[in-house]
Amino acid sequence: MPTLEMSKKDFEKLVGKKFASRKELEEALWKAKTELEELNNDSIKASLEDTNRPDLLSTEGIARELRYKLGLQKKIQAYKTKKSGITATIDPDLKNIRPKAAYAVAWNVKVSNEFLGQMIQLQEKICQTFGQKRKEVAIGVFDLDKVNGNVRYFAADPKTEFIPLEYKVKMSLDEILKEHPKGKEFACLLSGQKKYPLLVDSKNEVLSFPPIINSAGSGKVTEQTKNLFLDVTGFNQNKVNTALSIFCAALADRKATIGSVEIQYGTKKITTPSFEKKKIVFKKDLIETITGMQKNDSHWKKRFQESGFETTFKGNKIECYYSNLRQDILHGVDVIEDALISEGYNNIPLEEIKLSVIGNESPKSLFVDAIRDACIGMGLQEVLSFTLSSREKQETLVGLQKETFVEIANPTSLNTALFRKTIFPELLAFLAKNKHAVYPQHLFEVGKTLELDSKSDTGVLEKDMVCIVLSNRKTSFSEIKSFLQAICNAFQWHFSIQETNHPAFESGQTGLIQIEQKKGIIGVLNKATRDNFGLEIPVSILEIEL
Amino acid sequence: MNLETLIQQLSAIERNTLQALANGEWQSLSQLVEKTGLPKDSIRRSMEWLNEKKLVEAQGQTKTNLEFSVSGKKALENGLPEIRFLEWVKKNSPNHIETAKKNSGLSEKEFNIGLGWNKKHNFVSVVKGTLTATGLDEEQEFLEKIEERKNALYSFEQKKELNSGFETEFLQRGLLSKKIAVERKIRLNTQGTQTIPLLSKIKTRSYNIRDPVPELLVGKKQPYIQFLNQIRRRLTELGFVEMDSPLVTQEFYNFDVLFQPQNHPARSWTDTYQLKQPQKGKLPHPKIVKSIKVMHETGGVSASNGWQYAWEEEIAKRLMPAAHGTAHSARQLVKGIQMPGKYFSIARCYRPDVIDATHLSEFTQLDGFIVGKLNFRHLLGMLKQFALEFAGTKEVRFAPAYYPFTEPSCQLIVKHPKLGWMEVAGAGLFRPEMIENLGIKGQALAWGIGIDRLAMIRLGINDVRQLFSDDLAWLRKQPMVVP
Repeated sequence: MPTLEMSKKDFEKLVGKKFASRKELEEALWKAKTELEELNNDSIKASLEDTNRPDLLSTEGIARELRYKLGLQKKIQAYKTKKSGITATIDPDLKNIRPKAAYAVAWNVKVSNEFLGQMIQLQEKICQTFGQKRKEVAIGVFDLDKVNGNVRYFAADPKTEFIPLEYKVKMSLDEILKEHPKGKEFACLLSGQKKYPLLVDSKNEVLSFPPIINSAGSGKVTEQTKNLFLDVTGFNQNKVNTALSIFCAALADRKATIGSVEIQYGTKKITTPSFEKKKIVFKKDLIETITGMQKNDSHWKKRFQESGFETTFKGNKIECYYSNLRQDILHGVDVIEDALISEGYNNIPLEEIKLSVIGNESPKSLFVDAIRDACIGMGLQEVLSFTLSSREKQETLVGLQKETFVEIANPTSLNTALFRKTIFPELLAFLAKNKHAVYPQHLFEVGKTLELDSKSDTGVLEKDMVCIVLSNRKTSFSEIKSFLQAICNAFQWHFSIQETNHPAFESGQTGLIQIEQKKGIIGVLNKATRDNFGLEIPVSILEIEL
Repeated sequence: MNLETLIQQLSAIERNTLQALANGEWQSLSQLVEKTGLPKDSIRRSMEWLNEKKLVEAQGQTKTNLEFSVSGKKALENGLPEIRFLEWVKKNSPNHIETAKKNSGLSEKEFNIGLGWNKKHNFVSVVKGTLTATGLDEEQEFLEKIEERKNALYSFEQKKELNSGFETEFLQRGLLSKKIAVERKIRLNTQGTQTIPLLSKIKTRSYNIRDPVPELLVGKKQPYIQFLNQIRRRLTELGFVEMDSPLVTQEFYNFDVLFQPQNHPARSWTDTYQLKQPQKGKLPHPKIVKSIKVMHETGGVSASNGWQYAWEEEIAKRLMPAAHGTAHSARQLVKGIQMPGKYFSIARCYRPDVIDATHLSEFTQLDGFIVGKLNFRHLLGMLKQFALEFAGTKEVRFAPAYYPFTEPSCQLIVKHPKLGWMEVAGAGLFRPEMIENLGIKGQALAWGIGIDRLAMIRLGINDVRQLFSDDLAWLRKQPMVVP
C-alpha cells in the first residue's frame, strides 16, 4: 500500500479543521480509506488502503476527501482554468514510442520547502502506482518563466544533446540512458526504440526527455520559482489527462491559478487540463440490495454528498455526478461503497447469515489425512516441505539428467526454480539438516508433485504422493518393504514389485511398485547419493502415488 | 535406604553383574560381557546403575591397543609390498624405475619398502635407473621370511595377538598403529561385598518406579497441518464445502474471471510467478470465455461499461502458480455452484518474494465465498463470526479496503489479547460485473483469512519459515495442537 508523509499543520490547513486527538484523526483518515500509521508531533505517516484512487495519493487529495466526509465541502470541488495561450504540437512519429501527452500551467505558486516535498511526493506516488513506474504515466514539472513560447513534443535523434538535471555537461539521449542514474533506471521503457521522445520550446531548448529526465535549465524548480509548466506523457489520453487533472487540483488547492494548454495532434485539437464532472446512472433499489439497509432518499442523498457525489433521485433512477479526478467509478456499487464508508462501517447493524447448507471436506483431503493417520500409526514423524525446489536437488544430487519439470520463468532464487517431481529428494535434504538429531529418523510427507501433461487443462499433472524415509544404521530393503506392506494392508490395496534401476538407489535393492493404476518406487539409497547429500547413516525410501 | 530394600530393587541384569564381580577384582565391560553372556549395552547400563547405587567403585584405566592402519589392511588383502614388488619386477624386468613406480600398482611408501627390501637382499638391482631382477637362489629363504610376517598379520586380525618380535617393525612400516583407549573398570565396594551373600536370600520385590526411562520417539502430524486440519473441520461444521485448489492455474481464473484488466499492474512479472514451461493452458467452454470477454470490454450484461479495451484470449490462457486462493473461487463459480451455498479452499499460493522471517514465496491462503440473497450487513456479520471462530475474540473493527474483484470491500481488524489490534481478514461482495456475467442470481460474499499469521500466533512462533520447519528436534518437541 502506498505510504504518505504529511505535516499535521499543513494537512489541517488544507482540510480547514483541527484534529484534537490521535483517535479523532485516525477515525477521520479511515473515512478517506487511509490508515494512520504514525503520528509524531507534527509528522503524520499514513497508508492509503485503496490502490485504485490516484486522487487520494497526496496530502491535498486526502484533505479534499475529508472536506466532503466532514461536510465542509457540499458540492463537487470546482476548479477553473484560464487560457495560458501556449500551444503544444505533438508529432505523429511518436505513435509507437510514447504518443500521448497533456500540459498545463500553474501561476502564483507559493513554493516553500514543504510545498516542494509534497509536490515531489505526489509526482512520485502517481508515477509509481497509477503510472506503473512511469510506464503509463510520467510527470514533468518546469519553471514556466524559463520556457520560451510554445512547446513541441516529437521523436528525436538519440544523438540530440542537452544538460540533464543533476549534471553540468551536455549529454546525448543515448548517453543519458547509459550513464545518468535515472537513465539507467528507466531505460527499459524505451528499449528497442530508434528515436526518443523529446519536449522542446520555441527556441528549441530542451525541457524534458520523457519519461526519463528533465533538463537542468527549465526543469529545475526551486523556492524562487513562481509559475509552473506541467507535462504528462503516456499511452492512453484518458490516463494522462486524469494524472494532469489530479496534479493541477492539488496545486489549485494550494491557491495556484491553473492555465490551460491547447494541444495539436495533427489536425485534431484538444485542451488540457479539464475538470468537467462525470455522470453515472444507477437504479435506486441497488442501494438496498447491496447495503441491506432501509433508509429514505434524503438519508442516502446526504451520504452521497459526504462522498463527493451530487445526486438526483428520479423514481427508481439515481443520476450521480462526480469529479473527473476519479476514475474508479464503473458501476453503481462503486458509488454505494463510498456512501457506506460515509455511514461508517462500524455503525452499520450486523446481520447473521442463516442458510441451511451442509458442509464437507473434499474427498481428497479426507483421504490424504487417512494416509497421515496410517503413517503416524507406524511411528513416522510428518514433515512439510516446499513444492518449489531446485534442479540441483531434484536432478543432479539424485543422479538424474535432462529431466523435464514444470519450471518457473521468473524465480527469485535457484531454490524456487521449478516444481518438485518427487518428494524424496526434499526429505533427503531434511535428513541432511538433522544429522545431530536422535536416530532412528523415520519421516513421511504427503503432498503434491508436478509433471508436464499435455492432456490436462493446465498442461500439468498434479499428483498426491506419500513419501516415507527411514534412516537408521540397520535399515534395509525388507524394513522399508514392511512399511509398504503395512500401508497397503491398511487400505486393502494389492501391490506388486518389479526390479528396476534408479541412479539414486542401490542396484538389486530397488523396486517399481504397482498398486492398481498407481505407481511408486521403493529401495535403499546408494552410497553415492548419500554422499551427495552428506548423509552417513543409511536411508531407505518409499514413495507412492495416492 | 537400607541394604534389604536396595537388593529388592535390583534388576536381573544388576544381580548377574554383581555375581560376576563376586571375586572382588577390577573387571572391564568386555570381561563382564564374557562372564554373564549378556548384551554389551545392558552391562554398560548396569555398571552405571550399580555405581549410582553405591554398590561398586569405578575407575578408568588407559590401555594401548594395536590396530590395523589403512596400508596394514591393504597388505592383508593384497599381500606385503616387498613380495608384490618382486613379483612385478620379475614379470617386467628390465624396466625403468619411474615406469615401475607408475605401473606397479604400489603406493609411494609401499614402493619404497619393496625396493629397499629387495635391494638389501640383492633380488633386484638398480643401474642408472634401470630395475632388473637378479634371480638369486636365496629367494626361497626370503619368501619364508615374508610368509612369517603374513601369518603374523593374519593371526593379529583373527585373534588380536601379535608375535612380539614384529610389533616394532610393523609399527615402523605403518602397517599397524597404536590407539590409546580409556577402559572403565568396576569392583565391589564394602557395601557391594555385603550384598553378595544376601542376593540368593532376598528376592526382587519392586521396580524403582522413579527411575528415568529411555525417550520414546513417537510420530506426530506436522503442527501446521494439525492447525489447518482443525480450521478445515470447523469450516465444514459451519456449512462450507471444500473446493479443489490446484497449484497451477490459468491466468483466466487467477485474474480474468475476477475482472482484473489484462494491463493491471498486479499482473506484472514482479508481482506473480509465471511458468517457463508449460506456458499456456486450455480455457473452459467458449460461451463462458465470451461472457468474460464482454465483461472486460463493455461490462457485458451488467450495468457497468467494463474496462474499455480489447481483451485477449491468449493472455487468459497463460499459466501461473496460483497467486491467491480466490483463483479457486473463480474456478468454482465458472464450474457451477449450489444456490445458496458456502465454499472454501485452503490453498498453497505463490509469490516471487525473497524468503525471510516474514515472507515466504510459497504460503497458504484460506479463502471462500457465500452465495445467496445476501448483502453488506451479512458480510459484516460473517466477519464477526470469523473473528470469534478463528481469532477467538469478540472485539472487532471494520475498515475500508480495496480488492479489484469486490465492491464494497472491507477488512476485519481484531483485538488480540496480547498483540493488540491486527488485520486478519479481507472481504467484500464480488463485483456485479462478475456476478451478473456468470449468471448468478443474488450476491456472493467473498472472504480471505490471513491463515499463516493466525497459525504463527497459535503455534507460538515468530518466524514464518518455521511453519515449514526443517528442524526435526523442534518438530518432535512440539505439543499436540489441541483445539
